[in-house]
Amino acid sequence: MGVSVEYAAKETLANLWRNRVMALAAILTVAVSLSLVGTALLLRQSVNRQIGEWSNNVSLQIFMNPGATKGQLTEVRSLISQTPQIVKPHGCSYLDPQQSFNEAKKVLASVPSAIGALSPSTVPTVFRCQLTNPKDAATVGSLFYANKTPQVSGVYMATWPGQSIKVMEKITGILQIVLFAIAVILLISSAALILNAIRMAIFSRRREVGVMKLVGATNWFIRVPFMLEGLVQGLLGSLVAVLVVLGSNIGVRWLVNHYNVSLLSASVLPAHQLITIELLVVVMGVAIGAAGSFVAVRRFLDV
Amino acid sequence: MIRFENVTKSYKNNVPALVDISMEFLRGEFVFLVGPSGSGKTTFLRLLLREETPDTGRILVAGRDIGALSESKVPYLRRNLGCVFQDFRLLPNKTVAENVAFALEVIGRPRSVVRTQVSQVLDLVGLGKKGDRRPDELSGGEQQRVAIARAFVNRPLVLLADEPTGNLDPATSQGIMKLLDRINRTGTTVVMATHDVGIVDTMRRRVIELEHGHVVRDQARGVYGVSTDTSTRGVPAISVVANGHGNGFEPSEDEDRIDQIAPARARRGQR
Repeated sequence: MGVSVEYAAKETLANLWRNRVMALAAILTVAVSLSLVGTALLLRQSVNRQIGEWSNNVSLQIFMNPGATKGQLTEVRSLISQTPQIVKPHGCSYLDPQQSFNEAKKVLASVPSAIGALSPSTVPTVFRCQLTNPKDAATVGSLFYANKTPQVSGVYMATWPGQSIKVMEKITGILQIVLFAIAVILLISSAALILNAIRMAIFSRRREVGVMKLVGATNWFIRVPFMLEGLVQGLLGSLVAVLVVLGSNIGVRWLVNHYNVSLLSASVLPAHQLITIELLVVVMGVAIGAAGSFVAVRRFLDV
Repeated sequence: MIRFENVTKSYKNNVPALVDISMEFLRGEFVFLVGPSGSGKTTFLRLLLREETPDTGRILVAGRDIGALSESKVPYLRRNLGCVFQDFRLLPNKTVAENVAFALEVIGRPRSVVRTQVSQVLDLVGLGKKGDRRPDELSGGEQQRVAIARAFVNRPLVLLADEPTGNLDPATSQGIMKLLDRINRTGTTVVMATHDVGIVDTMRRRVIELEHGHVVRDQARGVYGVSTDTSTRGVPAISVVANGHGNGFEPSEDEDRIDQIAPARARRGQR
């Protein structure tokens, strides 16, 4: 190709500076759209992790009537041991009246008046069970409690997180789709902006290009600085987006730590997942820049 | 050096720009292309630069059919063809030396070569001391010298000039012609399209007259002819394939003749 690195770098920087307003507009649009993409990816990963976390901890809780007899407890235990979807051998833990009372106090810590009404003898005792596959929760749960009716004597009710998780998945799913849709629109417009920036650069340098062609510069020699210009715009935009994504992850971590919301602790992504998202953001930025400038060079640089 | 074989070219409106042109230029020839506007002179040069391709026929430069060149090879053809225009086409934001150096830089010549070649060629065109000026600080004649320096710095085989004196006064044109003559003497083929009767008549080099895309005259040591010598008008094309006469190699008194360009113009003006 015969394009020296030094020449290409010099020309690219000079071009960027000459068209700095257009370049800035293109870079910022890339930054905004990629920030959205990055955040959407972040959200998706966090929700998946959080849901996984919740579903793995407790898949199924079987509450017994406060006065359940030993026989009734044994019956439930034997049903548990016969159910293949429940993790064996220690898939279920049984909280006796005292433990259940303590647990209830924890849950209702913010409502002292409700605690006053409780005593170990009035709190339902509970079996907490882990399932081999959290998705089976509804099937297994209905063995004990279906159609709002206990299926086994002594059982008060059974709950599993399936329902609430489904709602949450749906909401975040919609949120993700909306975010991605906005991001896609913005990505297209940022590619168009880069295309336009390169087109302006080509237009402002048409004399140089004319002379280059006249004296026999190769097509690639003429094209490369313009293509690099678009690439750099995409790259700079994506680097801004990388910071935004990093910032939002740090922000979530701070919120979780500051307000001690241990319930959401899984929303903070570990480094390797974060790095994957950031890399994806950079790759997309470079791809947008390359696509925009490639089209511009193809259509408007008549070599 | 350059050979046209039955070249025909027409543009979109179907008006033929060149019709069945066959001719040959030898190495080191100096050729004037004359004829009224729209006669096909510029098309002729554009075909040589391969900014256009012929509809039929072949054009050979240094033995190669340039119509058969792939797009990616065209730049290498152009490195062998220097080109000068009426409007100079200099880059206003670069100095004289940078303008000339640009031609070498963009074809990837090393910096040391660029430096020596540029100063050599600026000396050749008589602008050795004005390398740091910008084009708008120079006179028209000086700007055209810069353009010639840029066209010649790569030592092309052929120098194409499309009315290089079109924007210049007679005295300045004379200087430009001296320079082109000097370049021609280094063995470079020069093809110059012009309307300048005085220049053609004093230089007495090969003249090819075009009219409506046809060669109506091909004359060694010719004159401009159209208005000065009506007898050549409408004469069928004389297929004088260049035979080496008047090709600029012979020692001649061209320098003196060029000095007469201005008076010749003045004479014409009186008529």
